[in-house]
Amino acid sequence: MSDKLERELRKALERVEPPAGFAERVLARAAKEDASMPQPRTWLRWFGTGGLRWAAASALCVSLATSGILYHYEREKQGERAKEELMLALRITSSKLQFATQSVERMNFPEQRER
Amino acid sequence: MKRIGTIVALLLATQVTAFAQDWDPGGALKKLSARASKTVDVTLDQSMLQFAGGFLDSKDPEQARAKKIIADMKGIYVHSFEFDKSGDYTEQDVAAIRNQLKGPEWSRIVDVTSKTEGQNVEVYFRKEGEKFKGLVVIATEPTELTFVDLEGPITPEDLRALGGQFGIPKVEVDPKAGKKGDSK
Repeated sequence: MSDKLERELRKALERVEPPAGFAERVLARAAKEDASMPQPRTWLRWFGTGGLRWAAASALCVSLATSGILYHYEREKQGERAKEELMLALRITSSKLQFATQSVERMNFPEQRER
Repeated sequence: MKRIGTIVALLLATQVTAFAQDWDPGGALKKLSARASKTVDVTLDQSMLQFAGGFLDSKDPEQARAKKIIADMKGIYVHSFEFDKSGDYTEQDVAAIRNQLKGPEWSRIVDVTSKTEGQNVEVYFRKEGEKFKGLVVIATEPTELTFVDLEGPITPEDLRALGGQFGIPKVEVDPKAGKKGDSK
């Protein structure tokens, strides 16, 4: 019983050689199907290449540098404006306090004032 | 115990905030601004002072002094109005601001009037304990009104620096130059 089963299994699993030219036919068909597939657009193909990656990295660097320069320039401008405002405020304060100080000091030397 | 401390601190903070809000000349200043022919408004809070301070050149003596003065300041507010003719602003306009400085924390330390120049300058200090924590100057001329509000600790050195520098040559008092009735 077991011998019969073994023989049948062996027969079923026996190596069968492909017909002549089978491999060539499979390769030819695969090549034909590949050629008939729609190709991606040129710019999409860039994604697959190093070119776009370099271009994107360069653009990012340029935009970061530009933003940095603009931010620095704007901050410098704001700082100079704030400084001017501060100095103006201190000058106004100073002029008013100076008037008060002088008047008080004059009062402290009345005898000299009368001379 | 910690909780009680926190509550006390919060209550104190509320009191300080309420105190800071007492002096708010905003409404009165707006009215004056509408009538003035020229207005100068400088509003620099603590963060702006720090920002401006970063651009001051320590090698320049004037700017170095400014840097020292603003180091602990919490704010500098200057409002100056110029009017076309005398009478464009009234004593009531000034009184609206002056009345806000009547609290116990405020003391008027100087009030000088020059009849010849038609100028009056009042200087008020805000005291917190034994320390001066602010200064308000009200200067009036026939066609000009100026309000200065300095918030923060004011030291005698600051006053000395402010009293005769910043682009204005320090004028030594010449007693002969004084005139009778120049000051009250």
